[in-house]
Amino acid sequence: MARVYVSTVVNARNDRVWARVRDFNGLPNWHPAIAESRIEGGEPADKIGCVRDFRLRNGDRIREKLLGLSDYDMFCTYSILESPMGVENYVATLRLTPVTDGDQTFLNGPPSSTARPSGKPSSSAISAAACSRAASTR
Amino acid sequence: MPHIVKSTILDAPTDAVWNVLRDFNGHDHWHPAVATSTIERAQAADKIGCVRRFKLKDGSELREQLLALSDLEQTFSYCLLDTPMPMFNYVAHVRLLPVTDGDRTFWQWESRFTTRPEDRDGLTQMVAEQIYQAGFEAIRHHLKEAA
Repeated sequence: MARVYVSTVVNARNDRVWARVRDFNGLPNWHPAIAESRIEGGEPADKIGCVRDFRLRNGDRIREKLLGLSDYDMFCTYSILESPMGVENYVATLRLTPVTDGDQTFLNGPPSSTARPSGKPSSSAISAAACSRAASTR
Repeated sequence: MPHIVKSTILDAPTDAVWNVLRDFNGHDHWHPAVATSTIERAQAADKIGCVRRFKLKDGSELREQLLALSDLEQTFSYCLLDTPMPMFNYVAHVRLLPVTDGDRTFWQWESRFTTRPEDRDGLTQMVAEQIYQAGFEAIRHHLKEAA
């Protein structure tokens, strides 16, 4: 089982970064690769178990399920239900930690992220690094 | 119970930082507050349970015990046994995490302790700034010199 770990530092306070990351339906607002997103069944985007169905600018479609969300610890865990990337059992956690030495945020997908490639090898569509670059430039 | 959490980003890979930090008997090489360090009973500095004895630059002494050390997680924990300050139940955790975007290091240093109400703010400030923040700057400097 493959483990993916990516991390970066964002030049913004963690509450500002979290405001973007916590919106499970908000990828198109800040991620350059995402064209549109909706939550299935009209459910709230912070309801655990809700499913987001989003489309990348290249036309790929991905469905992901929200497994965990904590405003207190500032993490978000989700799994991929459907994607063209050929991964099974993909579970990712995005976690924010304040850097007290300067108003920065440490953003990581910890080693618990696991995936088993079932087809062509591929990196995560939404890497923490990509998230952070997008979040810090807006 | 005061809870201190300080963190910084170092412009070096975690392995380089961990090499320096994992030596429980080596903090006198880099921390400005520590004059000398020895491990009691000549035990190895990476033996869980070993006790280090610091003599601080101001002449006071303190003893700390290694509670946990993980090369895999790049973490260690220790507690204070004896100190001239009115600090009790002090347990601290150090952990490093890689910043894969640029091969840098996220370093978090946190602790909890109990004390008298009138000493709470002063001690919290002292530990956060003179021990942790000063330690961050010292390691930054130490790594630059070693490079």
